[in-house]
Amino acid sequence: MSAVELENVTKTFGPHTAVDDLCLAVPEGSIYGFLGPNGSGKTTTLRMIMRILHPDRGVIRVLGAEDLDAASDRIGYLPEERGLYKKMVIRAALRFHAELKGCRDSRAAIDGWLERLGLADWGDRKVEALSKGMAQKVQFIAAVVARPQLVLLDEPFSGLDPVNRDVLREAVLGLKRDGTTVIFSTHDMAVAETLCDFLFMIYKGRKVLDGTLDSIQDRYGSDTVRVRLEGNGLDLGGVPGVVHVTEFGRLQELRLAAGADPQQVLAALMSRTAVRHFELGRPSLHDIFVRIARPDTETPTHA
Amino acid sequence: MRKIFVIAVREYNAAVRTKAFLVSLVLLPVLMLGSFGVQAMLRDRVDTSPKQFAVIDRTRGEEVLRALEEKARERNENHLHNTAGRQVRPEYVLERVPPPDSTEARDALRLEQSERVRRGELAGIVEIGEDVDEVAPAAADLGDFEGPDPAPTFDERVSVRFQAHSHTSHEFTAWLRRSVSDVVEMRRFREQPISAEKAHELMRKVPLLARGLSARDPRTGEIHDGAEANRLASFFAPAGLVMLMFMMIFVGATPLMQGVIEEKSQRIAEVLLGSVRPFPLMLGKLLGTVGVATTLAVVYLGGAYAAARHFGVTEHLPARLIAWFLVYQTLGVLMYGSLFIAVGAACTSAQETQTMLLPVMLVAMMPLFVMTNVIMEPDGPLATGASLLPTAAPMLMLARLSVSPGLPLWQPLLGVVLVLLATLLCVWAAGRIFRVGLLAQGQAAGFREMMRWVWRG
Repeated sequence: MSAVELENVTKTFGPHTAVDDLCLAVPEGSIYGFLGPNGSGKTTTLRMIMRILHPDRGVIRVLGAEDLDAASDRIGYLPEERGLYKKMVIRAALRFHAELKGCRDSRAAIDGWLERLGLADWGDRKVEALSKGMAQKVQFIAAVVARPQLVLLDEPFSGLDPVNRDVLREAVLGLKRDGTTVIFSTHDMAVAETLCDFLFMIYKGRKVLDGTLDSIQDRYGSDTVRVRLEGNGLDLGGVPGVVHVTEFGRLQELRLAAGADPQQVLAALMSRTAVRHFELGRPSLHDIFVRIARPDTETPTHA
Repeated sequence: MRKIFVIAVREYNAAVRTKAFLVSLVLLPVLMLGSFGVQAMLRDRVDTSPKQFAVIDRTRGEEVLRALEEKARERNENHLHNTAGRQVRPEYVLERVPPPDSTEARDALRLEQSERVRRGELAGIVEIGEDVDEVAPAAADLGDFEGPDPAPTFDERVSVRFQAHSHTSHEFTAWLRRSVSDVVEMRRFREQPISAEKAHELMRKVPLLARGLSARDPRTGEIHDGAEANRLASFFAPAGLVMLMFMMIFVGATPLMQGVIEEKSQRIAEVLLGSVRPFPLMLGKLLGTVGVATTLAVVYLGGAYAAARHFGVTEHLPARLIAWFLVYQTLGVLMYGSLFIAVGAACTSAQETQTMLLPVMLVAMMPLFVMTNVIMEPDGPLATGASLLPTAAPMLMLARLSVSPGLPLWQPLLGVVLVLLATLLCVWAAGRIFRVGLLAQGQAAGFREMMRWVWRG
């Protein structure tokens, strides 16, 4: 069964179409990653799932229901722009959010979460005393403290240091273990690749990718070569069979033309300089994202 | 419904459990009493140093001056102190200046004395006309002679002339007019066949006694006067209630608007909307604020009622009136609170609210402008009409209820119904503006855009 289903959902703001004829099915108990460049419609889609915005056309079913009140207590939401009442004590703020979700006895849950996210000593401080990262973790607790069945997280990892990123990732995986469906949007491709069961990419309001990482990468085939070469600032232009070069500094990613022979590319490179590393593989999620979001390079080959 | 309650409780706690609330709880009555106190104090706090006046009496034998000196002495002995024994008025010292014998000498004398006034040696110059015993034209009775320059100009011979640097203080001119008139009156009657003393007696004013309404004592069954009508209390009790209502409404409504702006600017709004729909969210905020205002009103009115009982003046603040106050206050807070919420939702910063609040504030302050008229004439057409206006009813109907015991019950009830209808309309429209505006960022919405939000939702 699907936790969230979108059927032909369209939302316009004046002349601007934010979400265009979108279909989506999020399986229960999965972690679903929303990708897409800024302004592509991720947040609008999340807001529509939360029923904060209403679609102009189409049907949205959340946890099997089409109306919010039945479902909203079972959904947790972390919006992109975080906000807590500054003057409230953290424990009281979390209790307020738990009560809004109909959770009367939240004391144990709050203590547990504060402990788990390393905020145990901060429960009696005021929100305004928190650093940005800590406030984000508190906000995360507010979204999940009432044990929702579905959690929507809008860029939960942005602005966190690597340690807190791990803490939060562990928390998200914990939610999954408890059977919670998690949908989150992110710009962090590494997190998306490792954490998500399914990936979904929206571009200019339209769905461009939807599926598991494997299925998405398969569509692009093994057209990517990662190389490390001797010498700096080497010009790789003009290598036959290479249509695009992405420069990572110490690493270069070459995209091969359809039908190009990797051995010939290797030979061409070796004729120019010493090759330290040569790896033939599938394009990274990052590369796929860039190919879609920067269409001036080349239209992706839809295999 | 439960969510409305959760929101309301948070709003209430956020407002009440602050130092600012406790401070304002104490400060409001202090300020109110303080402003009355300052007025009362300033009334007594006058310059009490002796004031010297030059008096030129041109009447034969300077008899008027002698009579005036006698009156000043009597005044200085008996009327300078208030009941508490503190001197609240200055002593008047009259200095005789010999009358001049020519027009040139007169002008020179006036200049000389005027210079003394400029140097601060004198407070003013009094000149009594030589024919002051003659009866001036009847118009003298019409104009208020206390004014600095009475409209009709009389011949100097039949007048008293008073020169001073400024004519802002009426106290001396009033005394002078009264005293000279008294003296001259006696002199005029002396020429008549009736004895001056008798005539003066006959002209004594009829005293007027101000008393309260008759009431039957519930214990003895005797009918007796109410307490002596206290003009101050019967004006200040309703005026105070109206002011209190005004403050209650805005003490409640202003934080509501600031709260909405905080939720928008701190991005709390979207988090809340993830748990509760906009309309219940707004209702919760309104109910929390009604709770705050009711708490304040109960504290203040409870205190005022206890004080009124203690001093035995409960007729100015009957329990019935307190009940009406709470009913109208609740509706007023809901009505204005929802308007303020709408303004907050349409703006993104406190500065932006200023222009949009102006029309709301003008409407809200209208009752204060007509309050005096309504209290003076509580059953007149202005009072009746204005107090049925929904935006004014919470304040003006209350004022009428407090001064007009015979107000037919249907009027305050109709007022409640009208305010209730207006409140529902405001809450409904504000809810729609709130729903759209809460997530809108960037520029403030104009009035037209707000109307469109209301219209299209």
